Amino acid sequence: MTRRLRWRLTTPIALTITAALAAGCSAGADAGADAGAEDSAAIKIGTLYSVTGPAANVGDKMRKGTELAVEQINQRGGIDGRKIEWKFYDPAGDTSTAVTQTRKLLTDDKVDAIVGGGSSSGIALAMGQLTASAKKLFVATEGARAIVQPETEHPLTFKATFNDTVVMQKIIEFWKAKGVTNVALLPDTSGFGQSALEVAEKELPAAGLKLAVASFDPGTGDFTPLLTKLGAGKPQAYLAWTTDSSGVTFLKNARTVVTDGAALIQHSFGFVDDRYMKQAGDAGVGTVLSSPKLPVADLLPDSDPQKKTIGEFAAAYEAKYHEQPNVYAGQAYDALMLAAEAIGKAKSTDGPLAAKALETLGEHVGVTGVFRYSAQDHSGLGTDGVEMIKWDGERFVLAG
Amino acid sequence: MNLLLQVVFAGLSVGAVYALVAVGFGVVANGTGAVNFAQGEYVMVGGVVAGVVHEVWHPPLPVSVLCAVAAGVVAGLVTELAVSRFSGARSAEIITIATIGLAVALKAAVLLLTDRKTYGLPHFLGERPLRVGGAVADTQTLWNLAVVFVVAVGLSLFFRRTRQGTILRAAADDPEVVTSLGVPFHSVARWVFVIAAVLGALGGAGLAPLSVMSYESGTLLGLKGFAAAMLGGLGNLYGAVIGGLVIGLVEAAVAGYGSAAYGDAVAFVILLIILFTRPTGLFSQRKVVRV
Repeated sequence: MTRRLRWRLTTPIALTITAALAAGCSAGADAGADAGAEDSAAIKIGTLYSVTGPAANVGDKMRKGTELAVEQINQRGGIDGRKIEWKFYDPAGDTSTAVTQTRKLLTDDKVDAIVGGGSSSGIALAMGQLTASAKKLFVATEGARAIVQPETEHPLTFKATFNDTVVMQKIIEFWKAKGVTNVALLPDTSGFGQSALEVAEKELPAAGLKLAVASFDPGTGDFTPLLTKLGAGKPQAYLAWTTDSSGVTFLKNARTVVTDGAALIQHSFGFVDDRYMKQAGDAGVGTVLSSPKLPVADLLPDSDPQKKTIGEFAAAYEAKYHEQPNVYAGQAYDALMLAAEAIGKAKSTDGPLAAKALETLGEHVGVTGVFRYSAQDHSGLGTDGVEMIKWDGERFVLAG
Repeated sequence: MNLLLQVVFAGLSVGAVYALVAVGFGVVANGTGAVNFAQGEYVMVGGVVAGVVHEVWHPPLPVSVLCAVAAGVVAGLVTELAVSRFSGARSAEIITIATIGLAVALKAAVLLLTDRKTYGLPHFLGERPLRVGGAVADTQTLWNLAVVFVVAVGLSLFFRRTRQGTILRAAADDPEVVTSLGVPFHSVARWVFVIAAVLGALGGAGLAPLSVMSYESGTLLGLKGFAAAMLGGLGNLYGAVIGGLVIGLVEAAVAGYGSAAYGDAVAFVILLIILFTRPTGLFSQRKVVRV
């Protein structure tokens, strides 16, 4: 009887564990992605992206972007004749797993630099402390300003993404050009949304804009009470700041609740995804977004410095993965290219030397923007890389 | 715009889906005594399947919805196989634990099969919303509410008036006696899990036009539906409906008059209060299963 009871108990528990393992198993499978044979002359670069877990959508694109960059560099002979040996791990969105994996990269795999911070700002922040004490170059692909700011405390950490301060600046310029003076901001309660809220509360009043705010939880099922409440202040623009799919519900609800037909319905650079726009149906048409140039690269004037780089990247990405690249793939590609260029310029894998090389690189034309790192700016991107775009029902076009 | 009326409409819209999930919890609790933590994942499966079918084959909408229901039947059968056939689990506690494993497995399976994509559906009754007294009501909300009430009345009749329903209720009360009378346990489990999964899948298909569905849409809905079921009294079908609508309304009120940043906390605060003060729920005298 006891044995039978134990059997009954163990089976469902085993089922649970198996399921949990199944969810995490792609981590193990991907860990084998490190390229090629052991080569003492190879430059070892380690990467963490969450290709499973809550940020899986983002992590998957990032992994492909970095993988493409590694492949391209190795195809043209590596960095100064030294091939890149790439080590990849999947923390599945979990910071403590990421910390263990980062330690493994630094002590067991003995990587020379780390590119990619686990596809989550929280993970990237934790990783930055480890890479700093190991004195290794770290180029993050995550958004939070705190990953690199203040630069004096993060001398070896860089990121290949826009600061939300820069994006907000571009949006403010856009509003001023459109004569918008009264706006409503709907940030989600994640770090991404709340950081933008912090910036908006500082920058918007300074720019003479009236601001009303309503934060929401990711997964919110109905925005109509929020929009009705905000609508009382008659804002000329409603700007949602989220990466969560509930942003689609925001678009649908905004079209029914916002009675002022002239009001702008906007999303930030976290929602530039044609799949989301299509799912919003008619409600998505006319949505204004702030975005890196990738989705509208073919519409840019030939004089645009990034047009050629983006075109080549997109063609190579589509040839390899048979899908369109998105901005996450672009910044992950840029991050590895930047790290490689720094190591090549420094002619050394020494962290401080490579960091110095990045700070004095001058201009690096990337997919995400034109990077101009300096000792004071480890994000390196200005408003010139941000484009205001609009969904026309079929694709993204320039919002002008 | 009328904020109060808008809050009510929004609350009913979200609450209807919570109610369907809560009814599903109740059905499984009535049949097996267990708490089925895969209930939220059935909603996800239904929504994603309807969305995939719609996107790939563009059939008439009722076909997409029927596919979601079919997926619900399959999900229910899989649950029964996993918890009662393979593991031989009979006690409520073991079934409850097994459903947690199954929930993770369902989520992982959908993640791998859909490549993490999100899916939506068009509105069932037309995209044009109704304007009532200075507020906007989505036609999809009316559909979801209608489904909830039809389901609650239908199930209530099934459990009280039919032979099969009576067997299921008896099984919950005393599984040993029902088994000794010649009703195999897995037959009871199969009935309740299929009913619960179909309810969830219907909810998912009804939710897809309002938001978008992906592999991760189910978990939070499941927890909120559980809170709704506990509020109404686990196993009480009408209680579950009222519990779902109440949680939806309170959430909407908090969003409209307070801050939506605390929206998710609402269901769990209500769950905690009910567990501390009245663990049998507002309308139920039934005994509680500890998990």
